[in-house]
Amino acid sequence: MTAKDIFRTKFDVASIVLIPACIGINYIGKLFASALKLPLWLDSIGTCLGACLGGPIIGGICGAANNLIYGLTTGDSITLIYALTSLFIGFFVGIMARAGFMKSFPRSIITALVAGAVAIVISTPLNIVFWGGQTGNVWGDAVFAASQAASLPLWLSSLFDEIIVDVPDKIITLILTFLILKALPDKLTSLYDASDEVERLD
Amino acid sequence: MAYIEIDNLKYRYPKTKKLALDGISIQIEKGSFLGVIGRNGAGKSTLSSAIIGLVPQFYKGAYGGSVIVDGLDASRTPVSELSRKVGLVFQNPFNQLSGAKDTVYDEVCFGMQNFGIPSDEMRRRADAMLEKLGIAQFRDRNPFDLSGGQMQRVAIASILVLQPDVLILDEPTSQLDPAGSEEVFKVVEQLTNDGITVIMIEQKIDKIAKYSDKILLLDDGKMVTYGTPSEVFAESEAHGVIPPAPLRLSRALNIADENNSYPATEEAAVRIMNGKVSFKDVREKERTTSSEEVFRIENLSFHYTEGINVLHSVSLSFDKRPTAIIGQNGAGKTTLAKLMKGLLKPSEGSIFFKGEDTKAKTAAALSSSIGYVFQNPDDQIFKPRVLDEVMFGPVNIGMSKEDAERKAIEALGLVHLENAKNRNPYDLDLHERKMVALASVIAMDTDAIILDEPTIAQDDSGKNLIARIIGELAEKGKLVVSILHDMDLVATAFTRVIAMANGSVIDDGKPEDVFRDESTLMKAGLELPHVASLGRKLGSESVLLTDKDFLESAFIRE
Amino acid sequence: MKSISLYKDNGTWLCRVHPFTKLMYIAAVILIPLFLHTLWAYAVAIALDVAILISGKSLKRARALIIFSFTIIATIFLIKGLFDGDNITPLFSLGSIVFYKEGLLKALRTGCVIINMLLSFSILVLTTKPEDIADEMERHGFSPRLSYVISSVFSIIPQMMGTMDTITDAQRSRGMETEGKLSVRMKAFIPLITPVVTSSLINTRERAIALEVRGFGAKGKRSYLRTWKKHKGDKAITILLIIATFLAFIWKIITWLI
Ligand SMILES: Nc1ncnc2c1ncn2[C@@H]1O[C@H](COP(=O)(O)OP(=O)(O)OP(=O)(O)O)[C@@H](O)[C@H]1O
Ligand SMILES: Nc1ncnc2c1ncn2[C@@H]1O[C@H](COP(=O)(O)OP(=O)(O)OP(=O)(O)O)[C@@H](O)[C@H]1O
Ligand SMILES: [Mg+2]
Ligand SMILES: [Mg+2]
Repeated sequence: MTAKDIFRTKFDVASIVLIPACIGINYIGKLFASALKLPLWLDSIGTCLGACLGGPIIGGICGAANNLIYGLTTGDSITLIYALTSLFIGFFVGIMARAGFMKSFPRSIITALVAGAVAIVISTPLNIVFWGGQTGNVWGDAVFAASQAASLPLWLSSLFDEIIVDVPDKIITLILTFLILKALPDKLTSLYDASDEVERLD
Repeated sequence: MAYIEIDNLKYRYPKTKKLALDGISIQIEKGSFLGVIGRNGAGKSTLSSAIIGLVPQFYKGAYGGSVIVDGLDASRTPVSELSRKVGLVFQNPFNQLSGAKDTVYDEVCFGMQNFGIPSDEMRRRADAMLEKLGIAQFRDRNPFDLSGGQMQRVAIASILVLQPDVLILDEPTSQLDPAGSEEVFKVVEQLTNDGITVIMIEQKIDKIAKYSDKILLLDDGKMVTYGTPSEVFAESEAHGVIPPAPLRLSRALNIADENNSYPATEEAAVRIMNGKVSFKDVREKERTTSSEEVFRIENLSFHYTEGINVLHSVSLSFDKRPTAIIGQNGAGKTTLAKLMKGLLKPSEGSIFFKGEDTKAKTAAALSSSIGYVFQNPDDQIFKPRVLDEVMFGPVNIGMSKEDAERKAIEALGLVHLENAKNRNPYDLDLHERKMVALASVIAMDTDAIILDEPTIAQDDSGKNLIARIIGELAEKGKLVVSILHDMDLVATAFTRVIAMANGSVIDDGKPEDVFRDESTLMKAGLELPHVASLGRKLGSESVLLTDKDFLESAFIRE
Repeated sequence: MKSISLYKDNGTWLCRVHPFTKLMYIAAVILIPLFLHTLWAYAVAIALDVAILISGKSLKRARALIIFSFTIIATIFLIKGLFDGDNITPLFSLGSIVFYKEGLLKALRTGCVIINMLLSFSILVLTTKPEDIADEMERHGFSPRLSYVISSVFSIIPQMMGTMDTITDAQRSRGMETEGKLSVRMKAFIPLITPVVTSSLINTRERAIALEVRGFGAKGKRSYLRTWKKHKGDKAITILLIIATFLAFIWKIITWLI
């Protein structure tokens, strides 16, 4: 599979309608997490689905657009800052998916770890700049406080905080993504197969 | 050169083996009204997609031959451009909505905005069309909060306002009340006078016969005949399309016209049969009566939004007779069904099932004794595998996995879908999904079953199958209540009819009695079954519901 | 179906202000204090936000938007005040635990940034219809696809809520208990998520076809049902804001050079 195949993107109407749907799915995921009082975000299921169906570029757009739209309209302007994180999550999950790392359950776990790593690398600096290192998630911040008390360097405590919060979240998210992809009908998936041309019958 | 030239069109969908279209060659003249008929899966929708270029541009797959619309190659011209010339109304209205507009009015204007039509012109067209299709009062409603038929009217309006040169309608009246569908056919026919070409895909064969200049009969992707109604219906039966009532009956009585072909339309039939036949009045049908009360509804009222009552203190009682609920779009039929099922709770009044007030019980608790098949199958289907979908109910009401699976297979067999049991329901066609939804309720083996417009998207054999299933369920002593817009099926399969209008029951009784009452038909947007209508036009006193009734009662005058 | 947008037309002047003017205000009110880098600048900014919200009769609803951040800010004060690396000068102490000046100042700054941001955005969010932002962007040369994505998000989420209800109906109508005790409703929640997501993805396919046949993305100029008449004030304010931001930026450069 060449790089060209991995990054090939269709900007047809099908991809355009995919984006708002994925953004909506992110919102629903967040809703579930809060309704079930889970210590997870679950706010990137849609982004991952968009990435798996539409490829890295669409995935990235889904991610970024997600945070921008919610930030600018639902009053949750903090999410604006994390547009960058979502963008890269979508992008890398897209790459993994195109490289065949969503084909089986164990493989999707690897994708989850990649996504988690991306989240950590991008979010930690943002947390430090805007929150003095915290994530706002109870469990994570507990760890943060502890490691600060143990007078570890700020970036390290913040890193721990992120790991506690994001890795489990991304694992659950991509497991769900995997299950959902399995449940999609061919009529839909064939729509997003990047590599298909009209065959002539004459 | 004709306006639309289709030459040896072949098409195969991706990931399938069979050709969906196989060597279609027709020419369609500007301003003509073409009817397209054929059994489920014949290729009608695929053909319409090919004319607007969705096939092959959107669906991909394998394509052969050519489709030229007013000089444009449909396989290459971008759909968004071709759609300036060609308007397509979908089979399932829910799928026509843009999903970006939250009022009916904006929804209807969506297309016009894309084509840059000036805003005052836009408003003029939208207002006029909403009036014409009787949905003006919903202009500020969210289109997703409308009843099935109202949504279908919005879908039609949203295309008609674009004023395309070619108008393709794919079963546009499947969920409309009889008056509504007649209205749509009238509106569309007027357009042909202004040189607009209409391609109408329909299962409502009598209307096709009445309005079409030419008819295309498809079967298994191939064109069987392309000609005048009487030519086509001469051989349609062998291809799963039962000819219209006038033709069936005149043929049975062997009354042909001057160039001895049988009349396909009521008008023609009346012309040549008038004076030749008269009717002896049929004896009262003896029907299975039943006294055992299943449902009792006492001055039931309901509203979705505070202050706007959708049902106005309805009082009804259901015994075991198979009962049809008919009436205009938005009358409150689906709402009533959902209330009986316990999915909605009464705003006022109460519903008793076998003497027990259902208010206290949850829908889940009722589900083992009351089954409900949704109007839109996609609202009901949520499992990625047909068998799991059908087993869901039985398992929930406490059957063992084995029993549940047995029941499920049985039910799937009943609707001829046993081979689809491992497929994803959403890979099936609409008419098949409709059957899956039916099977998933039958499998629960409930005492009462409520069917919400079961015949949507079904061809004649599908309708007959449903009629037969209804009969069998009734045999087993179950109550079958069905909401229907198909008067012919009402006439043949039901012994009791309830007519609703504007949230009230306006008539209730034997089919012949309900259909006899002109004012009821008027108020509830209904029309006579086609057989009965012909009978009446020829001067029959009694309401003749079925071919059998008609032929028993009619005799040739010497 | 109710929208997730917090917009409410309460008839005040603030609802008539052009979306772009509000966006410019947000940019300015966030950037200027950043450049001036003094606490009083934040104080002024926040005061300004509040003043606008009051005259726009929207302060109450804005409070609901920022309340959630207080707990986070509190923890920031706590952790920074106690453990921050630069802590030297004790400020006060509760029993044995000592709060330090440096940490608390950092916390105060962070707190101001957050509050200012939330308040200024709430001005836009509470008094602007998302569809209007979308339409205006489109009319000012952004791609119609972008504005479709935006306005579609706002109708798609209520639709998904609707889908949840229909799927719940489908499930309970076939014997799955979804009503009654909280625990029951919780349990009923889990089998919902995959169907809701799949069905909304499946709808995208039909949606795409619908857009195609309704001329979405057709070439040539588009037209609009409603047109936004810009108030002359919009222009004036926008220019003022740009100048102010620019000056602040200059100031930043100067202080940075010397
Ligand atoms: N998207 C699709 N992918 C694969 N096969 C399809 C698709 N759509 C339709 N088909 C198949 O193509 C054939 C023709 O379908 P089509 O919908 O055109 O029939 P139809 O005449 O419209 O039937 P109906 O009366 O049920 O609408 C059927 O066998 C159907 O299963
Ligand atoms: N979710 C909803 N919110 C608000 N109003 C609704 C909703 N669903 C239906 N209605 C309104 O209630 C009335 C009755 O709707 P219902 O679906 O029962 O009609 P119906 O008789 O089934 O019509 P049809 O034959 O078109 O299916 C209609 O006017 C409809 O607009
Ligand atoms: Mg079809
Ligand atoms: Mg209905």
